[in-house]
Amino acid sequence: MAVKYTVQGLLIYITIAAYLLALATELAGRRKTGRVLFAAGSLVAVVSFVYRWYDVRHVPLQNLFEVFLFLGLVCYPISWFCRRILRIGGEGADMFIGAVVLFPAGFVFNAEPMQLPPALQSWLFAPHVAVYMLAYIFMAKATFQAAVQLAAREPIGAEAWLPPEQATYDLIAIGFPLLTLGLILGSWWGKLAWGHYWGWDPKELWSLASWLVYLGYFHWRYMFGKRRPALNSLWAIAGMIAIIITLLWVNLSRLFPGLHSYAT
Amino acid sequence: MSQFKRVVLWAALIAVVLLALLSVYGAFLGAEQARAFFNSLPLAVYWFALIALLLAGFIIFRRLLQTPSLLLMHLGSILVLLGALWGSNGGHALAKRLFGLDKIPEGQMGILEQTQENRVRPADSNSTRELPFFVRLKDFRMEYYEPGFLLIRSRTGQNWRLPAVAGQTLSLGEGLGTVTIQRVFQNFRIDIRGAERITYDAPGGSLPALEVSVERPGEPPGSRYVFEPTMGHGNPNDRLIMSYSRMVRDYISELEIVKNGTVVAAKNIEVNHPLHYGGYHFYQHSYGEDKLGDYTVLMVVSDSGLNLVYGGYAMLAAGIFWHFWGRRALRRSCVPARRPLASEDARPAKSPADILD
Ligand code: HEM
Repeated sequence: MAVKYTVQGLLIYITIAAYLLALATELAGRRKTGRVLFAAGSLVAVVSFVYRWYDVRHVPLQNLFEVFLFLGLVCYPISWFCRRILRIGGEGADMFIGAVVLFPAGFVFNAEPMQLPPALQSWLFAPHVAVYMLAYIFMAKATFQAAVQLAAREPIGAEAWLPPEQATYDLIAIGFPLLTLGLILGSWWGKLAWGHYWGWDPKELWSLASWLVYLGYFHWRYMFGKRRPALNSLWAIAGMIAIIITLLWVNLSRLFPGLHSYAT
Repeated sequence: MSQFKRVVLWAALIAVVLLALLSVYGAFLGAEQARAFFNSLPLAVYWFALIALLLAGFIIFRRLLQTPSLLLMHLGSILVLLGALWGSNGGHALAKRLFGLDKIPEGQMGILEQTQENRVRPADSNSTRELPFFVRLKDFRMEYYEPGFLLIRSRTGQNWRLPAVAGQTLSLGEGLGTVTIQRVFQNFRIDIRGAERITYDAPGGSLPALEVSVERPGEPPGSRYVFEPTMGHGNPNDRLIMSYSRMVRDYISELEIVKNGTVVAAKNIEVNHPLHYGGYHFYQHSYGEDKLGDYTVLMVVSDSGLNLVYGGYAMLAAGIFWHFWGRRALRRSCVPARRPLASEDARPAKSPADILD
């Protein structure tokens, strides 16, 4: 763990501080102020991402540092979309998720700019990663709703939010197509770069496992509807566990040698 | 819902969960062993069972045929599985037996510059097989990101990086002195005439090097030549270990396909840009140099089943987006929005199963 004494580091720390302040304000019951702080933090996250883009001169989605920067950036727009369009709350959780994903970018991951190796010079690379990251945030929100359902809590707040079980389903229904697209774009890119659309690489297999957990969730929910809401929620949580392993463990542990190890 | 339908749905659910568990198991095996595992006989049984289950689903559940989104995604899954089976080693063996289609599933070929070659070494054998056409290598070259870097490491493990541009200078602090890049060579040559050393960049060839000077207070200035990629070479008494690092931007093979003495296709292939001809894709795989000259190594992969897989992908993605995004968007634009209350279920029972039971 190390503090980054750079402009990039400063931008990340300002964003984290804004997100945490937004969360504290929200918890203190000042929702509007909380939202404004969240939006302001998100703007700094945009500046931080653009700054990185300018610095490395390619779409900054090459390594874990850049990917987590992007995750911290999309939390607010997704939160806004869920609140306004899907009628799904949990903004406090979104603020928290934003701060959590930016923490490793600010203190753990190496931010040394890197040139793109030949395999990453493909137009498919940026959409493949970006689509996955969007899906992951939707799934993280779904996991929060699943936890709320398991805790048998009513959604907090004056607004009329969807009940947690339904919110979990709706969020997964938004995230799953993105997950599918990420898988397919990755497969297509793998074919062009390495000659095979499926390389049986550990990262590929974990991403397939995550996708299959959500596929299982849909079939399960088709079979049982809302009669076993706790089990529906457990499926959603299992999916998120698989995603976290796909995103982190494969890169960080040296357990699974494979093609995707350049992403460390 | 009838008992039979229920059994089929349970079977589908178990098949999905089983594949998830097998994927996790495969992740622990590493890519090579996982590939062998998923291509083994017991797994072949699994793949066929999954296809059979999907087909059974169409017969048993009318909705899978009648709802376009569900039809697209389930049919797409079948196509992906069929395409993968058709493109596997077993699929190639079957195609040979049934249709006399004798393709090499995967292999490698090495080609010297300015020569042509049709022999491929298949991935699973030591003998060679021949393509019905020749692949000619006009030129192989590598491109690098400019500038490269001078990497410096002190004996105490400190690291520095300096852009490899003449005139760049860096102070390493007390005791270690100041490093300056004096010259950058593409193809370093040195002539020694008596006590005189003459260094110069010779045309053609490639021996990238840097001339680096190190100035330390109280010592006469000295310069040295730093090459790539021999990190750690040099005098053990040196206080600084240096190497010249350049990152490859691309590997390029200029290829031509020659059939019956005429060029029928040509492409400069790079990573991410293979050549497609005669039922095969040709990928930049590796390269080398021997006494006869530079050569490239291509990976040759049969394209059998690929269209089925890609068609399946398109249907799967279209079906899933339509089912989860498209219908919701349409519902939104057709039905006036109603704010559901947290205490009530937002929608009527979501699935037909809720109603059926
Ligand atoms: C293994 C055999 C399978 C059978 C028998 C089967 C059967 C079914 C059935 C009956 C439904 C409910 C349709 C409805 O809403 O009326 C369904 C839904 C669905 N199936 Fe499958 N399925 C199978 C495998 C797959 C596979 C491999 C996929 C991969 C894409 C898939 C994706 C889906 C999706 C996304 C839904 C929608 C769930 C929802 O609306 O919540 N299924 N399936």
